[in-house]
This record gives sequence, C-alpha cells and structure tokens, in this order.
Amino acid sequence: MHDQPLLDVSNLTVNLLTAKSAVRPVDGVSYSVRQGECLAIVGESGSGKTVMNFAPLGLMPTGVTTMLSGSVKLEGRELIGLPEAEIQKLRGKSVGFIFQDPMSALNPVRRIGRQIAEMAELHLNMTSKAAEARALELVKLVGISDPAARLRQYPHELSGGLRQRIVIAIALAGEPKLLIADEPTTALDVTVQAQILRLLKDVQRRLNMAMVLITHDMGVVAGAADNIVVMYAARAAECGPVDKVLVSPRHPYTRGLINAIPRREDPIGLEFRGLPGIPPTLGAPIKGCALAPRCELAVPACGNSRPPLVRSDDSAVLVACPVVNQGKAAA
Amino acid sequence: MTQAPVLKVENLQTRFKSVQRGKYVHAVDDVSIELYPGEIVGLVGESGCGKSTLGRTIVGLEKATSGRVLLDGVDLTTLSGAALRDSRRALQYVFQDPYSSLNDRQTVGEALDEALVIAGTRSPEERDRRTKELLDQVGLASVVRERHTRELSGGQRQRVAIARSLAVNPRVLICDEPVSALDLSIRAQVMNLFLRLQKDLGVACLFIAHDLALVRQAASRVYVMYLGKLVEHGPSQELYDRPSHPYSQMLLASAPEVDPRIEKNRRGPLMIGEVPSPTNPPSGCRFRTRCPLAVDDCAKALPPAHVLSPGHTAACTFAADLHRGKRSALLQQEVSAA
Repeated sequence: MHDQPLLDVSNLTVNLLTAKSAVRPVDGVSYSVRQGECLAIVGESGSGKTVMNFAPLGLMPTGVTTMLSGSVKLEGRELIGLPEAEIQKLRGKSVGFIFQDPMSALNPVRRIGRQIAEMAELHLNMTSKAAEARALELVKLVGISDPAARLRQYPHELSGGLRQRIVIAIALAGEPKLLIADEPTTALDVTVQAQILRLLKDVQRRLNMAMVLITHDMGVVAGAADNIVVMYAARAAECGPVDKVLVSPRHPYTRGLINAIPRREDPIGLEFRGLPGIPPTLGAPIKGCALAPRCELAVPACGNSRPPLVRSDDSAVLVACPVVNQGKAAA
Repeated sequence: MTQAPVLKVENLQTRFKSVQRGKYVHAVDDVSIELYPGEIVGLVGESGCGKSTLGRTIVGLEKATSGRVLLDGVDLTTLSGAALRDSRRALQYVFQDPYSSLNDRQTVGEALDEALVIAGTRSPEERDRRTKELLDQVGLASVVRERHTRELSGGQRQRVAIARSLAVNPRVLICDEPVSALDLSIRAQVMNLFLRLQKDLGVACLFIAHDLALVRQAASRVYVMYLGKLVEHGPSQELYDRPSHPYSQMLLASAPEVDPRIEKNRRGPLMIGEVPSPTNPPSGCRFRTRCPLAVDDCAKALPPAHVLSPGHTAACTFAADLHRGKRSALLQQEVSAA
C-alpha cells in the first residue's frame, strides 16, 4: 500500500467544448506522485499544464464543457466520472490549492483569520473557536511574524509575499494529502520567491504531503522538486527525476528550454539562445510530433505519427522523440 | 565614453499623495542616471522600488516633483505643449504587456500607420514605405500587415509594439519589463531584437527588469534601485562579479539555479523580510532594516556613494570592504543565523 502513488494519472485526455470551438489541451498524459514527493510540471502557456491538474478536480470556467478520458486516481479512488458533489468534498480537504495571484485568491472583505478558519470548520468539522486556534497555528507554520495581529487584518493590508503565505495557510487548513501549487511564485519578486519556495518545500516535508508544482520557470524546479514532467503542446515531452532531466536533458524541447536560460559565464552582449518559431496554437490534435517545425533534429518521419514516451538509456527517464529514441521500443 | 549622454536624469524626484493625509509616497527619490547613445542599460530592483515610476517619469507619464530630465541637453520637465511633443519624440516607451498595449481591432498595418500619422508623416506613400521598413526591422513578415493584432502571438505582438515605438525614429527606448509577459522560448527572440536595434539603429535603451540574468547579458551597465533610491551602479560584468552593496549581493544571490547539483548545495542566504513602505521609509540608509551588516550609524544619515572603480559606485558605508571581498552580507547572515 505504501508504494502505491497518492496521485496516479494515466493516459489523461481533456477535450474542451465551447459554443464556438473544440480543443484538446491535454492529450494522453500519464504521471504519478507519491506521498512526500514533489513533482514539477513545466511548460509554456497553452501547454496544458494547468488544465491537466484542474480539470479532473472540476476547476474549469463555466460555459465550457469538459470531457475527460483516461484515469486519475487519488489514493486509489478514480476521480473521472465521480459526481461533482463528491469532487467538491475533495477540494480543499484531500487536495489543497495554491494559485498564482494571491490577491485574487483571497476574499478582500473578510479578515485573514476568518478565511483560514472557515476552511478548518468546513473540512475538519471544527467549532469556530477550535478553528480560530487552528488558524493561529497555521499562520505560525507558514512563518508569519506577529501571527495574532495578522489574523485580524485584511488582505489589502499585506504585501504580496505575506498574502501568498496566507494562501498557503488556507491550502493547508484542511490537512490535504496533495498540494497543487499553480505558479505559486510567478507573481512575486525573486527575493520573495526564494522564501516562498523554501517554505513550500519545508511544509511539504514536515507534513509529508505530495506536491504538484506547476510552473513555466525551469529555475524554480531544481530547489523544490524530485521529479519533473516537461509539457509541450498538450503532451509530455520528457519526464524523470529532476537530477537527471535538468542535468542532461534528452528531448530537444527540454534541451532548448534549459539552454535558453542565460548563464553567468555568457559574454555580455552575446545573442540570446532560444528556440526558433512559436508554439502551436491550441486546436485539433497534431498528427506527428508537435515540436517538429521548431526542432533542429527533426526528420521527415517526425511528421508521421505521434512519438510515444520511451525509456531512454537511463531507465528512469522517458522521452517522446523518435530521433533521440532511435532503435528503442516503446515503454 | 567621451560622447555626451543622450539622456541625463538629474536628482529626479517623483512623489505621490498617500491615502494617509499629509503623507507622500516617495516613489523615486533623488535619482540620477545617464544613458549614452547606442547603449543598453539595465535598471533592476524588487517591485515597489520605483523602477517603473522612474521610467514613466522620464517619458512624462508621471510628473516629476523635482529634478531634471535632459534629452540631448534639453530639459523636458520645463517644456510643455508642442515643444514638449517635439522633443519627446526621440524618447519612446515599450510596455510590459503587449496584450493591453495594442488595440485589438486594428490590423498591424493600421496600428503602424497610426503611429506614423502621429509622428507627422503626411504622405501615404511614405507611410507605406516606412510600415514595410518597420516590419522588416522588427523581424515580422509583410503578410502580418493585414492581420489583426488579436490574431498574433505574444511575441509577435511585442514586436508590433516595438515597431510602433520605432516609427518616430527614437534615440532612446524606455523598456519596462518588455519580455516578462512572453513565453520562455520566445523571450530570446525578442531580446535579440533589442540587441540588433541597438547595433543597427544605435538606439539607446533603458531596460527595466527584474530578471537579473537577462539584464546581465543585454546591458553594458546596470543600476540597482531600492525603495526609491539608487544603491549601486556599475559595468554589468563588474557589478555581477563583485556586487558591493549588501542589497545587490542579496538580490543576486536570490536568483534560483537551474542545475540541481548547484541549487541543492547552495548556501542558504535569503533576503529577510520585505520592502518597507515608501510612505514611511527608514531613516538614513533605506536598506538598513533588512541589512545583515547594519550598524547604528546607518540610521543617522544616508550613506554617500563610494566610487569603487571607474564607473562603479555603491551607496554603503562598507562598500569599499564589500568590493574588496573583506566583508559580505551573505556570510554575515550565515554567522548571525548560526
């Protein structure tokens, strides 16, 4: 039982239907996270990284019909096909959420203390008094100075970093087993980003939670995550342990992304390295490899069929590139 | 550099009325910078440090409380009306978000044509020729001209925004986080465009950004701002190799590393706390409330700017020691944490 992943996603496909269009933002993606582990999901905007995590938990905008296929198991329980009422019970309890913008994630007209306490009341059936005490505990846990005074304040009175700490406290209030953090540091300064990442890593270890860190920034991955999935155009391009994928990336897209980050030793005034072209727009599924038009390794065969994720020469790393995988069987 | 600076900002101050009665937000406080022709200069700092307000004040989007903005020797703060419009033409602004800085209902051609009309190009044939030229300069194919700006990707939109600002043949571009709204794989393309514009057209560029690595590679010199004041400036290479203000040291050390081997063994200095309110800035050195090196004297008076090497100055009592590596804000923090 202990070896079973807490979150096990296999072959997840998400189709979104609006009045005007049909798109597939997630196309057959598989990954899993164990208790006490952190998985980073990295991709550019439109790569499907957010939809993939939010759609199975019913967090989609209204007016969009979401169609899911594949399997998403949380503690062995299948989420796809579960009625909305059941999923609602999981949100905030078994699964805690941290969103990118702490200002819009908080209610501007309610005191901080109340916002944390209501989560404890709702999910842990606490009395309001016990919940207030729990709120104080949580605010201490997320490293806020003068916690009692903060609980009486409103979100607008706090700085961005403090607000994000409050959002983290709220996410932890229901004692979640899984924490989903969607770009938790993107809206923050680099100095505060380092503090928040350290805090997230610290509470994740202390509470032995599983964490999914969704980000577009390769820079925040190394310090926080154990494993990584690199997404490109609705599909996983490469996945494996952070120590391996970031140190010796195999997929041309992962290589390009890491290579594009300016390095200290680059001469000043040097051309910036990057990928040519632009990512494909969301639409119908692409027949071959989605990266082919931008890829330096591309051969005509890349356009024929979708490259499967294949175990590379390092068995922990899976890569979806026919050129890199030449001569290897599908995993 | 024997040339005269194309843009010279002298003791600029911008303050806003605070919601608290009778108080002011000192967004930019006594800042002086220089920009030479054809040079990319970085301006870095945390949000709320006043870097955007400084940029906006230079182009006249905010009114300076005091100080001068000299463009080719002409003080823009004393001009108004037509004289100001004429002088300011040489100074253009590129906004962060190309999704809100362009009109969705215009085609790319219309957007550029409008800029050229405002720039005073009367002849339609001339505007047509310039539109083609501008698209070419920013690396957009001419077919884009008929497309609506809403149909374009973020990177293409930012190129259109840059083309619009180039319509008047500016000598100085003030770029406020011009690539932070763009995807990672696109950023390099737009950054290279700035490098090329600098080389080909000799446009000087004040590059306001929070991404330190990006600034290092693009800029020849860097200014570091904290709470409305300049704390350090110098040639990029030297400033990044030997940051000599405790704030610069800690700011540079906060940037995350991509390589897990380095990141996991990284020594633990972190910036303590957050930026104090600019309505009520600390007395003396503004960084002292977060500085691991602060001593009692730091609260008494603003530390003077120490010249450490040609073009490299830092406003800290300990700047000379920090520059020689005899003292370090990062080491000090570890000692006090232990």
